[in-house]
Formats: sequence, structure tokens, C-alpha cells
Amino acid sequence: MIPVRYNIRSLAVRRATTAATALGIALVVFVLASAMMLAAGIKKTLSSSGRADNAIVLRKGSNAELGSVIEDPSVNIITAQPGVKKDGTVPIAVGEVIVVAALEKIGAAGITNVQMRGVPDNAMKFRPEMKLIEGTMPRPGSAEVMIGTRIRGRFKGLELGQSFDLKKNRPVMVVGIFSDGGSSYESEVWVDRDTLKSAYGREGIVSSVRVRLDSPAAFDGFKGAIESDKALGFDAMRETEYFDKQSEGTSMLVGGLGTLISVFFSIGAMIGAMITMYAAVANRQREIGTLRALGFSRSSILFSFLLESISLAMLGGIVGVIASIGMGAVKFSMMNFSSWSEIVFSFDPTPKIIITALVFAAGMGLLGGFFPAIRAARISPVTAMRGG
Amino acid sequence: MSIEVSESAGGATYRENAEALIRLRGVGKTYERGGEKLKILDGLNLDVPKGSFEALMGPSGSGKSTLLNLIAGLDRPTTGTLEIDGKRLDQMSDGELAKWRANTIGFVFQSYNLLPVLTAIENVELPLLLTNVASSERRKRAQTALRVVGLEDRMTHYPRQLSGGQEQRVAIARAIVNDPKIIVGDEPTGDLDRHSADEILNLLQKLNKELGKTIIMVTHDPAAAERATLVRHLDKGALK
Amino acid sequence: MTLTSLAARNIFRNKFRTVLTVLGVAVAILTFILLRTVLNAWGRGAEFAAKDRIVTRNKVTFVIPLPKRYIDEVRRAPGVKQATWANWFGGKDPKHDREFFATLAIDTKSYFDVFDELSLPPDQKAAFLADRRSAIVGDMLAKKLGYKIGDKVTLESGIFGNDPANPWTFTIAGIYTTTSKSADRSTFMFHWDYLNEASPLRAQDKIGWITSRVENASGAATIATQIDQIFDDKEMATSSADEYAFRNSFLAGVSAILKALNVISVVILLIMMLILGNTIAMGVRERTNEYGVLRALGFRPGHIAWFILGEAMLTGLLGGAVGLAMAYPLIEGGMRRAIEENMGQFFPHFGIAPEVTVAAFALAVVLGAAAAIFPAYQASQLKVVDALRRVA
Repeated sequence: MIPVRYNIRSLAVRRATTAATALGIALVVFVLASAMMLAAGIKKTLSSSGRADNAIVLRKGSNAELGSVIEDPSVNIITAQPGVKKDGTVPIAVGEVIVVAALEKIGAAGITNVQMRGVPDNAMKFRPEMKLIEGTMPRPGSAEVMIGTRIRGRFKGLELGQSFDLKKNRPVMVVGIFSDGGSSYESEVWVDRDTLKSAYGREGIVSSVRVRLDSPAAFDGFKGAIESDKALGFDAMRETEYFDKQSEGTSMLVGGLGTLISVFFSIGAMIGAMITMYAAVANRQREIGTLRALGFSRSSILFSFLLESISLAMLGGIVGVIASIGMGAVKFSMMNFSSWSEIVFSFDPTPKIIITALVFAAGMGLLGGFFPAIRAARISPVTAMRGG
Repeated sequence: MSIEVSESAGGATYRENAEALIRLRGVGKTYERGGEKLKILDGLNLDVPKGSFEALMGPSGSGKSTLLNLIAGLDRPTTGTLEIDGKRLDQMSDGELAKWRANTIGFVFQSYNLLPVLTAIENVELPLLLTNVASSERRKRAQTALRVVGLEDRMTHYPRQLSGGQEQRVAIARAIVNDPKIIVGDEPTGDLDRHSADEILNLLQKLNKELGKTIIMVTHDPAAAERATLVRHLDKGALK
Repeated sequence: MTLTSLAARNIFRNKFRTVLTVLGVAVAILTFILLRTVLNAWGRGAEFAAKDRIVTRNKVTFVIPLPKRYIDEVRRAPGVKQATWANWFGGKDPKHDREFFATLAIDTKSYFDVFDELSLPPDQKAAFLADRRSAIVGDMLAKKLGYKIGDKVTLESGIFGNDPANPWTFTIAGIYTTTSKSADRSTFMFHWDYLNEASPLRAQDKIGWITSRVENASGAATIATQIDQIFDDKEMATSSADEYAFRNSFLAGVSAILKALNVISVVILLIMMLILGNTIAMGVRERTNEYGVLRALGFRPGHIAWFILGEAMLTGLLGGAVGLAMAYPLIEGGMRRAIEENMGQFFPHFGIAPEVTVAAFALAVVLGAAAAIFPAYQASQLKVVDALRRVA
């Protein structure tokens, strides 16, 4: 085996060329890893909102809470179905109203939709993971609201102590900030249910009903009971499944776009690696001839140059991955296509993505270095004699 | 078929030299350049006994480099048989030749051909990587080889930090580190001044006399040829 | 033999490397053009939008409809020529569960006056107007889902209830095409009257949004403000904007993605510079002693620098040309049809803008030169004696 340090030092000697090529690869890996991290962040944000032992009931045919309408009398029918967990005799459930409101975004032109959730008094109790991190809980029935930590400061009026108009002359005041482990609730404004209903003319209806099940296994029975009554016209879904569906379109768009761009980019970077490696082989013909004369086989030359190319690409890959992990500090806000409202996502660097990105870099090195390595392996040992 | 015939024919003539380490019979080498066939060597017979120090001389284009390449196992003859230490080089594959070179031949090149990114001792150690020698033992042997050429104090220097003569001595250390039977020199003093050249030739002589290495060396330099035990002249592909 | 031809000859010195470099630049330019085309197409939807049409919707949220009588007030507003309304039905064909298309309940009496870019054969139009349970579909949607005139189609609504005993069934009466690029050719439209009758009493006489046509496009913004003032004190305030502004505000939601694509299109240019700069630097390094010879012959440092810059620009030019030669068949020939047909509502026009072509070409040349500045400077600063002694 030709020692690895031969390749590493050869790379170090051609500093400028190595740096230029590795930087090209780093940029590609950065773009790829960032896109994957964002897609993962979107998935995580939307799916961490759900619990396996919760079911959500929507109007049949509605893809999202926003478009769903359930009349108040139906709420009691839903919560009375088998499988719903009870606290004493009271079913553990919440019926909530969802609307989107156009608010002025800070630092960007135009208005953007923000999701508003009209919640009953037990909404926090229903979601024990949720925590008030600043301020106080809004008083029931009042014009006080709380907002998720991710949208605070991003829209006009969405900051502790500030107020904004639900509709003309109906101001509400932000008294609390809550967090929920990075879920999509953190991009919502929570308003007292009755306040929201009257402000938006939604009296007598809710958008969705969430129920706590006796156990995740109780879901099938509950779903069967809800959907067997065709006249009701409701769909029941596991909450986890519901949020998975919510993230599908957006994360697919980001992931797909990222992958497509990375493929194009990688062709460029691979050609860059190829040029560099061909030059390396051309400049080191006599060295290679000498190694062959000393008795190193064609395959060990091939392997050595592939290794050099892969090392070069990995250098870029590592730089690119580190840079993309830095994106973790960046918040990316975009419209979620299923609710037409803005959700703030973050880049989620999972170990799988980091490994995938590094493997991708190594793959670029392997492919880019393949033909140059073959050329190297073909160099005759006679080249070692004289000037070669 | 024709190879077989020439072998039996040559075998009769040279039977008295059965002890030869290197044995060429009817060796020819033809290159193709732009569709034209170029005959460099033709029907060459040669025996080199074990332990000799031979210099090959001849004008440019005489075929001496080609002959050296064949003996070194860098290339294969077009016709004829080439036997070294009982092995038929003309019948070996590229891979077998590489393995054979690693065990049998030590190289000393005109422009040293040290790998610029490796230190002196790493360069010397290089051929040992093709063997199963343990790494601590490799280190020791490389040190010994450098001591033989008088450069034990330059072990961690890179080639560019050494003079030409020192580089060539490192190259010699590399050539002897795996104890080859034959050392092949291609103008080993061609790039050196007189004083350094003499040092190298002293070394080669020492290797020949004390360690019993068989040395074949191509050279233009009459002073270098003088050190050899036998000088052969090659002209237009034939030995004189 | 001129200085330029000397620079050009160096390019073909290492043909293989030049071919690879040109290819690398070409791929970068191709990607750049592709990204810019996507960005353009995204913005283009708005650009093609009619500026003489105003959309009026609920100020707080578009999900909540307006009272029907608002239409009369809008029609009375000064400057408004015609006005019509539509409701978002949120329909889905259960037979094609994964296909998304817009479903609108339209006021058939006024809709075609305002949206005069919709064209429908007279007999089909007559059939549509005559049967209030009929519908028309865009030609792209008809093609995609295989709808034919006379077909009965049952939809499920995501907003209005679905009564299994009384499903939303429509007869396809016509297939429309459009005369404007920005109009969606994948919409499903049916009679608002039918929707209204089928709705429970308290949900009746509600309209989703109002689209009005004004006499003079330049006055659209003022008229929009005036319309909003009419409703300012009514139970529901409105927000009006011309279609161009309306589409633009929709883009704001994906502005982060657009921004990211913008950044990425710059990144690919950086990669291109790295590839090109690297090639030039390698060539310069290998030819150092030739430059020494040239200097010895009396060429000045400036000449050397120009040789190198010229070589880089020419390589960039070649790469740009090859990139364009790849981009046109790929985008105009292949992707354009596929995207306009399948994603018409997002990308009504998908094609390479002339200014993108020019920009890509110019960038290839200019960035080529920029990438060569450093090696060119270095080579020109070499001392003649050093350069001569240097062996590649």
C-alpha cells in the first residue's frame, strides 16, 4: 500500500489548487446539507406538534383545520364517542377555531398571514408539554392573547405588552409568550375562543375537535364510530398523522428543490475535482512511474489516487457540513402550503443528514477522481527512467 | 513458437554459462511510433554472472536504456527469452512483473526520483510497504540503509532540503533497503558534479564488493565505467 | 500572429483540460439560467396579471366571505366598469385524490365580462349558462384528469359540507382556453347560484371575493382605496388591491425560498469562478518559464497579464456559449411544456428571458476575467530570471 500521507502531503503541497477545488465541493455540500436540514426542520416542527394518543376530527374533505367547520352541537357528539379518555366524567377534549389574519411583517414589504387559534380554557391543560415562558396567562374571556415564541417580534404588535387589531376597533394585547418544543404552535397567536369567534363572525362553530384517547390503540374504534355516522360527515385522524400530512407538501418542495439543485451543482464540482486530479496526475508522472518501478501495482496506484481525490472532496465536505451546521442559528420563515399562513422553521442538523452529506462529498471525489486515477494507473514504469 | 526455437538454439551455445544470474536469448524489442515499426534491439544474447558490476555504454539511440528497462523488468521483450534468477520475465504479466521488481530490483535513477512530499526515511521505507515487514522493523531497516549511505543525520529532511549528491544517496538507500539481488542504475551520476559522482560510485562499488550485489549501470561517463568490473558497449541494438 | 491569437492558442494547449473547464463553466451557466428562469417564472405570474382589475376581499382573512350586497356597492363605486364575484369551493375529485386544482363558484352572469381572457366556444357557453348544475374546466385540467364534455363529475368540498345523499355533482358543459399567459388553465368553475341554494340558510348570500374592472389601469390604486373606504365602517372591512399587487403579496409567503434561490444562483457562479480560476492558475504555473522567455524577448508585465486574462475570458465565453446551447433545448424545448401544463397556476410562463441570456453570457466572461486576476498578477510580477529558471 502506498501510504496515505503521500496523498495528504501532495494535497498540502498544491495548497491553492486544493483549496479552490475543496471550496467548490464545500459550497455544493453546504447547499445540499442546508436544504436537507431545512426539510428535516419543517418535518420536525410540524410533526412534533402531534401526540400519538390524540385524535383530531375535521369536516370530511378538509385537509387542514383552517378549512374545516364543525357546528357546536356536534362537538358533544364527537367527545361522547368510545375511546375518548375522561377526567372523572368529563371527556378530555378541545374544540378550537382557526383563522388566519393578515399582519404586517417587520423587515419585509407586504402583509403575511398568521394563524390564530381560538382556544377554550383547558387548551394548555390538554397540551401539558406547552409552557408559558414569559408574561402571564391571558384571562379567560378577555381581550388578552398569548403568542408562540417563534413569531414574537416578527410581526407588528406581536411582542409582550404590545397590541394589535383583531378587527377594526377590536384591539387585543399580548400578555404571554409560550413555547412548545419547536412545534408549529410556536408560530401561532392564541386568543380566547369566544373573543375570536365574535370578532370573526364564527359564532356557533369550531374548526376542529381534538380528543385524548384512552390509548393510541383506541384510535381505530374511535375513528370507526365517528366515520360510521355519515350524516355527521367527519373525518378522524391521528394527530401525528395529521401533522405529517401538513408538512408533506412544504418539506417535499424544499427537499426536492434542494436535491435537484445539488445534483446540478455537483456536476460542476465534480468536473472541478476531475480537472485538479488530472493535473495532479500529469504533474506527477515521474513520481508515479517511480512507484511503479519500485514494484507498486497498477491497482495500488489507482487506489492511491482515488484516495487522494476522496480526501480532497472530504476536506470540502467537512467544511461544507460545518458551515451548514452554522445555519442552525438561522430561522427560516415561510408559508406552509396547507394553512396558507407563515410558520417559522429552523434547520435541523440530524446525524443522518451529516453522514449523507459527507457520503455525497466522498461520492463526488470518487467519481471526479475515477478517470484521472485510471490514467495514473496506466502510466508505464519506464516513465521513471530519465526525464520521463 | 519462434521463442521456443530460439531458446533451444541459444541454449546450446551458452551452456557453459549456466551460472548466469541474468540470461537473455535472442531478445528483440520493437516499438511502434506513428504506424512505423522501430527495431531497437534484435536477437540479443547476454549473460550476466552473479556478483558482477557491469557498465553499459553506447551512443544515444543505441538501445542501452531499452536493454536496461528489460533487465529491470519495466518492459517486456517483443521476441526472445529473458531469464533472471531462474524466472522467465518475458512470460510474466504486468502484475507479476511489479511484484518481481519489488523483490529483486533496486533502482537508482539519473534524477533520483525521490517523492518530494516524503522525508528521506519515508522514501527509503517505501519499498518495504510492499512486503509484510512490521512497521517498527521497517523503520529499523530504513535507518540501517541510510546509515550505509552515510545519511543517518538527514533522516527527516525532505528531498528539497538535500543536495543532489545526498538525494542520490537516499535513492541508493531506497534501492538496497529490501535487499534486492540486482541494482539497476540509469545514469546514476548524470546529474552530479565530479565529487558527488565519486561518492556515489564508491558506494556502488562497496555494495558490489561487500554485499555482493549484482549491478547493471547505464552511463556516459568514462570515469564511472572505470569502476565497473566489466564494460559492455552497445551500438545499434547489438553488443560489442 | 497577434497577441490575441497567442492567448487563444494557449487555450488549446491542454485540450482535454480546456474541454473539462468549458464543460464545468457550461454546467454552472446552465444551472444559473435554470435558477433565474424559475425565479422569473415565479414573479412572472404577477407580471402578466391584469393591472386594471381590482380584487376586494375580507380585510382580516380571506377565509371569511363577504355579504353579497357588497357587490352592489362596488358596482356603484366611481371608476368601476364591471364587477363580479366568486367563492373558493376547495373542491377535490375523490377519483384523483392527489391532484390539486382550483374550484370556483362564479357568478355566471358577470364573470366572463370581467375575465374576458377566458374563451369558450359559443355553443358550450350557452350550454353552461343554461344548466345551473353544469361546470366548465380549463383545457389543461381536462387533459390531466381526462374530463370530456358531457361527463358527470362529483367533487368533495373542503369548505362546504358534503352530504352523501346530495353530493356535489356537475355536468361538464365546456372546456375553456385562455388568451392571456397568466390565466390559470386548470380551474374548475361552476354556478355560484347552485352553491348558494345548496347552502344552509345562515351561509347563504355570502361571496368569497369581488373582482372589478376599472376604466383606467393607472387609477386602479386610488379606486382600490376608495372601495375600502366604503366598507370601513361596515360589519366587515375589506382590503382591495389590483391583481398585480395581489399576486405579489402572495409571493411574500414564499419570499424566503425565493431569497434562498437567489443566493444559490450566486453560489453557482462562485463555483464556476473556482473551477475557471483553478484551471488558469494551473496553466500559468506550468508555463512560468515560457512567460520568462517572453519577458526576456521584451514583452512587458502587462502583456503577460493580458495573455492570461484573455485566455480566461475566452474560456468563459466558450463555457457560456456551451451552457446556453444546453439551456435552450432543455428549458425551452423540454421543461417549458411540462411545467406550463402541470404547474400552470404557479408558473403560467416558463421560459428563458432575453436579459438572463445576456447576463449569463456577460457573467461568464467577466467572472472568468475576475478569476484570472490573481494568477495574472502573480505571473506578471515574476522576475525574468526566476521565471526562466522555474521548471514546471
